Amino acid sequence: MTVPNQHHDMNQIEELLKNALRRQDAPPDFSEQVLARVAEHNSVPRVRHDTWWSIFIRPLVRWSAITATAISLVVGGIHYRNARRERAKGEAAKQQLMLALRIAGSKLQLAKAKVNEINATQVKKQSSSEQE
Amino acid sequence: MAESALAEHPPGTGAGFADLVRRHRSMVFSIALHFLADRSAAEELAQDVFLQLHANLATMKSEDHVTFWLRKVTAHRCIDYKRHRTLPQVSLEEVAEPSAPAPAWDPILERRLRQVMASLPAKARLIMILRYQEDLGPEDIAEMLSIPVATVKSHLQRSLALLRQKVLRSVGGVTI
Repeated sequence: MTVPNQHHDMNQIEELLKNALRRQDAPPDFSEQVLARVAEHNSVPRVRHDTWWSIFIRPLVRWSAITATAISLVVGGIHYRNARRERAKGEAAKQQLMLALRIAGSKLQLAKAKVNEINATQVKKQSSSEQE
Repeated sequence: MAESALAEHPPGTGAGFADLVRRHRSMVFSIALHFLADRSAAEELAQDVFLQLHANLATMKSEDHVTFWLRKVTAHRCIDYKRHRTLPQVSLEEVAEPSAPAPAWDPILERRLRQVMASLPAKARLIMILRYQEDLGPEDIAEMLSIPVATVKSHLQRSLALLRQKVLRSVGGVTI
């Protein structure tokens, strides 16, 4: 088939489609039925599906909840700050104790070295006096 | 040009809505009818679309917005309908070739065209309806169906080629 024929066919198909897919009238009572359904839909009382958070719609409950949350946050914050402060104090005390222990340990080492030195001197003196 | 019902009547008033239904009913009904090929199902679907419009009337900004919205919702509802219910699908093999040249216009040819249309995939069929019933361009269709323009164009080309092959070529090159 030649290209002009193909183009002609396409035009024909498009014309056929436009004709076959032309708008059709809706059924005569269509509008009335839609309006009746709208009216029916509007007349049906809407069932309220209350959820747990719907209690907050009431202002008293809502403000009570906000106040309670704010107080909880403040108290919690203070408690957290105190706990942190106590923990910091404990850490400082621990560090001081560790330092004291390290100092005591080094002093003990020093004393032990002195004692050993004295003992060695005495042993040396004793052995030299025995030889004499 | 018809004065906008939205301008004349505030959203939600019966008169404005009734006017919208009257002016757009054939468009909505025809999209559904050409897609579903079932008058009662198309009527029900079109009514559902208008009920949805009534519920969303307050969000409508202009007459053009209403038209765009109606086409879009109808198109999506058609696709949903197809997804949830199995439409009587016509396979291409079942579409018989005409044995004799057709005259300039006849109902048999139109029926045959509808058969081939019914055999198209849902999205391709919807694109053809929006293109040839509503005379929308590929860009408008792409925006409406939230798909790329290239996809719309390729669907259109494929569908037209198929229709040409099934409806015209088998006639033996005789001018219809």
